[in-house]
Amino acid sequence: MGQTKSQFTDEELQDYQDLTYFTKKEVLYAHNKFKALAPEKVGHNKNAKLPMTKILQYPELSVNPFGERICEVFSSSRDGDCTFEDFLDMMSVFSEAAPKSVKAEHAFRIYDFDGDDMLGVSDLKKIITKLTGDHKLTDAEVNIIIENVLEEADMDDDGSLSFAEFEHITDRSSDFLSALRIRL
Amino acid sequence: MSGGGNRKKTSRSEGWEEAGSEFYQESYPGDPEIEVLQRDPKHLHTLLPSKQTRGGATIRLKTNDYRTNNRTIRKHTTTRSRRESTGGPRRASIPGEVQVSMLPDLSEMRSNEQTAWEDIMLIKSLPVPMAEKKEMKAKILNEPNLRLQGYEQFKWKRRKMWDHVKARLVEHLQKLNLWGSSMRSIEGNYGVGILSYFIFVKWLFMLNLFIFALIFAFVVLPTILLDTNTNKRAYCPNVTSTGPEQLQFLPNESNKFLDLIQGTGVLEHTLLFYGYYSSEPLSYSIKGWYYNLPVAYLLIVILCFVVSAFAALNAAASGFKERLIEGQGQFYHYSSLVFGGWDFCVRNRRAADIKHKVVYNELKAGVETQRLEDEIRNRTAHEKYKIYFSRAIVNTAVLAILGGCGCVIYLVFRFSTERLSQTEDTYENLFYEFLPSFTIVGLNMTVPHLFKFLIGFEKYKPLSELKFSLIRTVFLRLSALIVLYASLWSKVNDSQIKGCSLYNKTPVCWESYVGQQIYKLLLTDFAIQVVVTLIINSLRALLARHVENKCVKFFAEQHFDLPKHALDVVYTQTLIWFGIFYAPLISLMGAIMFFFLFYIKRFACTVNCRPSPIVYRASRSNSLFMFVLLISFAFASIPLGFSFSDLTPSKACGPFKGEASVWSLAVGLFRRTPDWLQSVIFFLGTAGFAIPCIVVLVLLLYYYTAVNLANKQLVRVLKNQLVLEGHDKQFLLDRLSLFIKQEQQKRLRIEQSRDAGDHRS
Repeated sequence: MGQTKSQFTDEELQDYQDLTYFTKKEVLYAHNKFKALAPEKVGHNKNAKLPMTKILQYPELSVNPFGERICEVFSSSRDGDCTFEDFLDMMSVFSEAAPKSVKAEHAFRIYDFDGDDMLGVSDLKKIITKLTGDHKLTDAEVNIIIENVLEEADMDDDGSLSFAEFEHITDRSSDFLSALRIRL
Repeated sequence: MSGGGNRKKTSRSEGWEEAGSEFYQESYPGDPEIEVLQRDPKHLHTLLPSKQTRGGATIRLKTNDYRTNNRTIRKHTTTRSRRESTGGPRRASIPGEVQVSMLPDLSEMRSNEQTAWEDIMLIKSLPVPMAEKKEMKAKILNEPNLRLQGYEQFKWKRRKMWDHVKARLVEHLQKLNLWGSSMRSIEGNYGVGILSYFIFVKWLFMLNLFIFALIFAFVVLPTILLDTNTNKRAYCPNVTSTGPEQLQFLPNESNKFLDLIQGTGVLEHTLLFYGYYSSEPLSYSIKGWYYNLPVAYLLIVILCFVVSAFAALNAAASGFKERLIEGQGQFYHYSSLVFGGWDFCVRNRRAADIKHKVVYNELKAGVETQRLEDEIRNRTAHEKYKIYFSRAIVNTAVLAILGGCGCVIYLVFRFSTERLSQTEDTYENLFYEFLPSFTIVGLNMTVPHLFKFLIGFEKYKPLSELKFSLIRTVFLRLSALIVLYASLWSKVNDSQIKGCSLYNKTPVCWESYVGQQIYKLLLTDFAIQVVVTLIINSLRALLARHVENKCVKFFAEQHFDLPKHALDVVYTQTLIWFGIFYAPLISLMGAIMFFFLFYIKRFACTVNCRPSPIVYRASRSNSLFMFVLLISFAFASIPLGFSFSDLTPSKACGPFKGEASVWSLAVGLFRRTPDWLQSVIFFLGTAGFAIPCIVVLVLLLYYYTAVNLANKQLVRVLKNQLVLEGHDKQFLLDRLSLFIKQEQQKRLRIEQSRDAGDHRS
């Protein structure tokens, strides 16, 4: 603990506390976790940029089917490599203290694979195939599911979900909040 | 497509078509997306303002006027800040209002410490990298801030301090968090649905601890401290010849161990049971002050029930609210499956594989259900009748089984009490003592399997299948309880007639006797759970892991069947509720048992069972727990209420000896209240009050139903309108993109012709 403490100044910690959903202690704890991914690199430079493969060794991310996409969304350089600050942002969003709207915002960006600010059919297809993993649904089944999702959520009937429509779903699904949570 | 630069050069000379593109350039200055649009008109819809809300927000925040933007957000988010924002104008006196409105709104331009801090707190919700957040924070801090003055300053300081203290407190409380690491590992390995079960067990543990604290503080502690004459615990006022020592039954040949598990002998005359508590007000050494234990006893028991009911209702209501929002039919079933299907907290490979499988199953089941629904719609009349017929048969069979179970329990109970009065052998006695408990527990374990077998014939949808088998199992458990009540009642009624009985083997103090029965049942149930989980089921799990035989696998493999385990703990809780009056310290026992049950169930979940192939959603299972708990609460409180009002407390012992019923004490208490209160309460009971009250309530109900219906209609209309607007938008966009495409082609053609003309010249 003492060693990590010396890696941050008080002001930095105050900044992190103000700008994330963590307390100072949790920030330090998060840094420990980050350091555990690449001890010598982070020990050298507390804000070192770790490649995506390293970040994906974090247990929750390693098994998460959207792991790579999450890294891409949170990476400030947009290529999946994350600095500690990016990592902290990520953990802050997935922490218990983060409100639903923030989670929804980021979930939307994660699910929006092609980055067109809409969840289209191709995005949905990708989500479903990633969710089921090794168990493959047939194309017909996937199409039925996508049809159903669109029928439920696509209010203006334009064949894809905008953020407003997505938020509408997440507001009504009580499981959404509990699902999008990674404990530090 | 030709490059943008080329096109720009040529389009300078064009007429009004160019104005169109100018229009785009103007409304979205420097927007890189315009390039994309010109290359691919299909992307037009991404430029719509409604699709740009989020991107727009971040862009706007980067420019300097993010403060105003934030303010609009804040108005929606917190009520506190709403009060503040309206507080400004209200402070201005009415004559000065015109001036105020004419002055530039200073509060929008310049911030004070408080708004600056609130803005900083808002930054964290923005989806931008940390570096940008830091910049924003620095910008806010660098702006000139007004210092708050006077009371505002004090309020602001106090609020900051309070936030600080709260953060500290939360941090420390988290350290105290019971079972935090266990919960985490369960969550990581089995997902949120299973976790909610363990949270439920913890909730029950806390509830019992709280009830115990109440009882201990107001009933047990006063008795320990103030009650000094313990030797006149039980005596009959009208049988003067017998001393107190003759009242205890068979103390001579008692076995310490047997006493401990039966609650008899020494244990009977302890704080554990009703009979120990005094009926007389306990006096302090100071004269004239006394503690009225009977009143305290009654009030605390009632309070415990009220607290439990409120806690359960509260938990159920929050779940219910969620279900109501979520519900409105099964509207968002697929969406929540797709978007909330993955538990991000899952952290190991094995669990992740299972999770993939579970999500796959659920999605597949969704498709299946749809197919099934189609099938149901297409069923012929003949098939329909066949299914109804089989359902009717199965339901009667289930009822018969339930009735049969009741009969078996009743017969066993009578048989064992008969034999109990005949034999003298201690161990045979013990056997008969526990026979009813074992019968009940045994039936609870075997009959649900029968139900599961039967439900296969009924051809329900998977979800309703789950619900039906759960409801039947609940009724099985509760029917056992009903029989228990009935047999206890008949027994108590016998002894009650005799008034203050002194016979060796008949219960001297029937309340203590009931307490003992509950105590025994609780212990048996707990012991059986321990034995079954730790020995039998773990052996089964061992077999399943190491034997490759299919038949063995079928019998040995176990899944963590959430409803069954939920019923286990709910049953225990029902017994505890029922027992509180007869054995106050049973709540402590309950707390201890739930503490260990947590570990036992964790063992069952992590060691014995393979992860269940059914998805248990957190919200769904939570409301299920509370629903079952509320049913069982009713089953515990109704007989207790009945015994309060209709049964005569035993004349020999307990806080209520000499009263006609427990309730009469409360009535007596009521009589002592001031006259005006009595008349008010009496008035509340008269028709003059009740009828207008009911009328008003009915009118209110009608009003709200009407509003509800109107709102529903409105929602439907708005939804249709939304779809229409969407179509309109789509149509216009298509037209527009077609137009742009034509434009481009035209330009291309002109270019080509000009190029050709250049060549020619």
